[in-house]
Amino acid sequence: MGSELQSSAIKAAKVLMVGAGGIGCELLKTLALSGFQDIHIIDMDTIEVSNLNRQFLFRQFHVGQSKAKVARDAVLKFRPDISITPYHANVKDPDFNVDFFKQFSVVLNGLDNLDARRHVNRLCLAAGVPLVESGTTGFLGQVTVHVKGKTECYECQPKPAPKTYPVCTITSTPSKFVHCIVWAKDLLFAKLFGDQNQDNDLNVHSSDASGSSGHLDVFERKKDEDIQQYGRRIYDHVFGYNIELALSNEDTWKNRVRPRPIYSKDVLPDDQIEQNGNVDKTAVSADLSSISAMASLGLKNPQDFWSLAENSKVFLEALKLFFMKREKEIGNLVFDKDDQLAVEFVTAAANIRASSFGIPLHSLFEAKGIAGNIVHAVATTNAIIAGLIVIEAIKVLQNDVQNYRMTYCLEHPSRKMLLMPVEPFEPNKSCYVCSETPLSLEINTRRSKLRDFVEKIVKAKLGMNLPLVMHGSALLYEVGDDLEEDMVANYAANLEKVLAELPSPVTGGTILTVEDLQQELICNINITHREGFDEEKEPDGMILSGWTPAPTPEVEKNNGASTDNGASSSSVSQSVTLETVDDDDLEIVPAGTPNGKKRKSSDNATNETGEERKQKTIDEDGVIETLDESDSKKKQKVQ
Amino acid sequence: MSGGIARGRLAEERKAWRKNHPHGFVARPETLADGSVNLMTWHCTIPGKTGTDWEGGNYPLTLHFSDDYPSKPPKCKFPPGFFHPNVYPSGTVCLSILNEDSGWRPAITVKQILVGIQDLLDQPNPADPAQTEGYHLFIQDAVEYKKKVRQQAKQYPPLIA
Repeated sequence: MGSELQSSAIKAAKVLMVGAGGIGCELLKTLALSGFQDIHIIDMDTIEVSNLNRQFLFRQFHVGQSKAKVARDAVLKFRPDISITPYHANVKDPDFNVDFFKQFSVVLNGLDNLDARRHVNRLCLAAGVPLVESGTTGFLGQVTVHVKGKTECYECQPKPAPKTYPVCTITSTPSKFVHCIVWAKDLLFAKLFGDQNQDNDLNVHSSDASGSSGHLDVFERKKDEDIQQYGRRIYDHVFGYNIELALSNEDTWKNRVRPRPIYSKDVLPDDQIEQNGNVDKTAVSADLSSISAMASLGLKNPQDFWSLAENSKVFLEALKLFFMKREKEIGNLVFDKDDQLAVEFVTAAANIRASSFGIPLHSLFEAKGIAGNIVHAVATTNAIIAGLIVIEAIKVLQNDVQNYRMTYCLEHPSRKMLLMPVEPFEPNKSCYVCSETPLSLEINTRRSKLRDFVEKIVKAKLGMNLPLVMHGSALLYEVGDDLEEDMVANYAANLEKVLAELPSPVTGGTILTVEDLQQELICNINITHREGFDEEKEPDGMILSGWTPAPTPEVEKNNGASTDNGASSSSVSQSVTLETVDDDDLEIVPAGTPNGKKRKSSDNATNETGEERKQKTIDEDGVIETLDESDSKKKQKVQ
Repeated sequence: MSGGIARGRLAEERKAWRKNHPHGFVARPETLADGSVNLMTWHCTIPGKTGTDWEGGNYPLTLHFSDDYPSKPPKCKFPPGFFHPNVYPSGTVCLSILNEDSGWRPAITVKQILVGIQDLLDQPNPADPAQTEGYHLFIQDAVEYKKKVRQQAKQYPPLIA
């Protein structure tokens, strides 16, 4: 390190950092201390209290301010002579277009969601600017280098879809706690408090017997029904009656442990329920966010394990509080990990169900983590990853293609190495982003609407932001603030039309072209008409193919996982890692003797972050980050 | 497929225009009665330059692109009978950059075409007349020419804001 050539490359470089959060703070510091002089930084977020334990450029009095701006000011204090340009904005804003990206020598990502990563990847490809991409999840981390034509792009390998569970596992045969959480969150919570127009499979097995098929929905609160009565009726229905009903199907239980029906009267004698029905006196406060069943029951520590009786009390109390204090929201609620009462309700419901099925109970803190796709962030991982980003960035600046490495930071040492450098892959020739291979789509062109295509394919699968959909020279759809009203109305009408009935009918054999206003990405999609789809296996009613189908999971940090992946409350899906993060002390293994050039980057990394070695224990004080995939480290790719 | 090249380029032009275009100008693909939007024909409006006799007018212009675009230029038409020395009676604009054999280059953008035509409004080219009335008045009767131009400007009032 430190050759003259290198330092002049660093001095001349103009770099763009996207993200000033966990990785971003470490990265900005490392860049500044490595001699970089012209750094631009984009982040749309403001500082929150929960960032302060690891985003060390921020202090408590900064809470509420722009991350990009505060990070700049903090670094200028110890490096006053360099130039840092902050943008408190979304990287997807139209201002950050291809021309904007073209001015940079390299782009460094410290992002927290798939959507923005894809967007930056596409802009970098369009602008021909190298991208160093990164992510961390707890102890796991990765840095990858994406240079157009030389290495694979961020989207050459399909990203794994959020983990989903078969409906019957959730509704009838849970075997893990996460199944109970999904049931409590996506089915029960959604049924009681969410949008009633959403499909909900909560009662799939009991509907034929007596449940919702009748004119009265069992989950609806009857007129003037006492809230205690109602709560116990729901309790007995879902934890008692439905379990009995499930038990009556003997075949299901031949090779499984039979669940135990639980009725409220067995767990909580009447007098006990009445004892804690004092909300009206205790919680007079109008502050909705402070409404808590735990608080009114005197349960204090979120890390405690509650007994079945305590869980049952929390369940009834939370349900009651929703109806008494937050009645206006009922019918519109969507589970949110930051909604205390919702977390309490889901924790209690999941625990009661878990005890029915002989699954170990969990604390509210743990349940919140699972329900909100939360993994606890580790500051040291961020620091290591930031160091690796800078190492790769320097190689990119010197065009040192031979030495580019993807590096994985592992949780447990493998061959005494905690950092696993791997030679980058070549571009995937059938990548729909960086190559021009057409995709193909099987769809029922006589039943699916343009809206289905736009939502499920163009936005969800291709990740476009402001798409243009074209059939030959006919524009079928555009979106954006700049469009004239009559065009907006015209496209809105098209959205509701079935594909085959559009002004330029889309049928089997049609080639649709989809572009994005900002991303400079063009996809051609060959349409094949198909009548039937298996609702269970192909719930979208359409199948897109054309890129390597084998998913290669990648470590991914994703703060916005719930909005990106779990938006539909009706589908039983969860992008959670099933491994809980453990508290083992993290020791960074000394680099040892290099054994070949591939070790080079790991050696550097350990030096780069040498100060971090002292820190052996990891704080886990409730600061949380989410992820959407983590359990694999691309082991198959390791040298 | 040449049509594919034209379509791809027009999609680019459309995107470029949506992202940024000169003030007062309009350019959009034609929307037909059945709701289809056709990239091969664009309906545009060119504002007369301020400080000229053309000021206040918003002149409708239609661009017809062929499958050979951008090898060949689009045909640009004002309404038939449009008063200007370099506009044919059919409304077709006669301008060097729109002539395949002289000034047209495939790199010329829709924006450049429209701005070029705006310039032409106030700076006719007497070497290349396309209609008798406009040409004769321009050459022989400056007062009457001015009057005609101002009349025409009133004929194409600004679009309702």
